Amino acid sequence: MPSYILLLHRNAQSMSDLSPEAMGQLLKDFNTWTAKMRAEGRYVGSDRLTEAVKTVTAKGGQFAVTDGPYAESKEIVGGYYGITAKDFAEACEVAKGYPMLKHGGRVEVRQIFEMPS
Amino acid sequence: MPNFILFLHEHQGQFDDRSQDEMMRIIQEYGAWATKMREAKRFVGGEKLTDDTGKVLRPRTGRIVVTDGPYAESKEIVGGFFTITAKDYDEACEIATDCPHLKYGGRVEVRQIHQL
Repeated sequence: MPSYILLLHRNAQSMSDLSPEAMGQLLKDFNTWTAKMRAEGRYVGSDRLTEAVKTVTAKGGQFAVTDGPYAESKEIVGGYYGITAKDFAEACEVAKGYPMLKHGGRVEVRQIFEMPS
Repeated sequence: MPNFILFLHEHQGQFDDRSQDEMMRIIQEYGAWATKMREAKRFVGGEKLTDDTGKVLRPRTGRIVVTDGPYAESKEIVGGFFTITAKDYDEACEIATDCPHLKYGGRVEVRQIHQL
């Protein structure tokens, strides 16, 4: 079965803007979502990321490290889930459970390349 | 020691004009870098993503809309990622400068994983 990564995009401010009650509810929603994936046997792993972002680029043999998020957007990847699904359509169905969709977030669904053995 | 994820950003189609042999050699170069991370006991994981641009879900007027990625405003995609351990952001960025991805015009986003 193919593997997919769900990249969880959200506004960098969107979690710190929540009230303690809303934050508590959000964490519960994340746990419920994770438990459902586990029960379906499709959970591979997940991580939450801290809000600091650094970007490393190379130009003309020089490396530059800059702070993110990028100027044009305050959107960051707040975390990700690795799951298995039979195809993109099924992976997208799972992604609809991302609790931050209610708070302006979005999910990028990407398939993991299977290396030829 | 904290873990960091390195998101390997690239232009969509960045490797399209490479021959299959060249592509094999480039993939091996990334593999060699992963081996180096393993030997340094820094390797946690890593995956290449498929070359299609994936799907994006976002809310719109009470329902969830699924579209093809990447987002309209950019032709940049995440081509893959590595997860490594490092003592802090400085060390993680220093390690990232050595990643073959930068040689091929990509950029590396360095993010610390939240320790629960």
